[in-house]
Amino acid sequence: MQKHTLRLENKISELDKIRDALEEMAATWGLPPQVSMSVNLALEEAFTNIVNYAYDDDERHEIILHFKLQDNELHIAIRDDGRPYDPTVQDEPDIALPATERPIGGLGIFLIKKIMDEVKYERADNMNQLILKKHIVQ
Amino acid sequence: MKHTTETRDDHMIVFLDGRLDTTQADAFEKAMTGLLDEGHTKIIFDCEKLNYISSSGLRIFLIMQKKMMGVAGKFTVCSLQPAIKEIFDMSGFTMIFNIQPDLEAALKEE
Repeated sequence: MQKHTLRLENKISELDKIRDALEEMAATWGLPPQVSMSVNLALEEAFTNIVNYAYDDDERHEIILHFKLQDNELHIAIRDDGRPYDPTVQDEPDIALPATERPIGGLGIFLIKKIMDEVKYERADNMNQLILKKHIVQ
Repeated sequence: MKHTTETRDDHMIVFLDGRLDTTQADAFEKAMTGLLDEGHTKIIFDCEKLNYISSSGLRIFLIMQKKMMGVAGKFTVCSLQPAIKEIFDMSGFTMIFNIQPDLEAALKEE
């Protein structure tokens, strides 16, 4: 089993660290490039949502990402101390709408669900925890 | 992400190079708004070197499409890498945009 933890601040520029961590995991854990890219996308959407919407103050907060690879399954837990928010119950956008009617935005959570095989939300100890799982086909 | 522009015939071509993520989206959107203000009616996004996009980037594509439709202009996307094409498919964007396999085909679009 492989493990990695990333402790990030609640600012958008931290996305570079997620990118670097995934590039490194792709190399050392042998993740296929396509998987590493789509997982990066799912994490960007989740992380950006937290940074933009989770906090009522302008203080510094820590967002923790735990990565685990076991039996060809990539398991990622994202923990934040923002206000309670379950992204898994958000309405899905209608992706069949023509351009004129498509709202600008609202795609983030939808993409996370499309990319990952399992998306689960938990609230415990005053923390939000989003658990993402993806089966890795080598 | 870097981008360069080039005019060919009456087309304004934007070459996207690198990662269009949330950290890059604002600057790119501003540049594209500037381009729209110049009054181009045929804009092509050449994505041959675009190797990552998130919803912040997709949003800009959608804005371009809407704005170009508003002025009866033409917005064409070409040379998508397979991984990027997959994200467009997931988002339902393949149906919204005029997507061409390469720049040559995009330039032929009237």
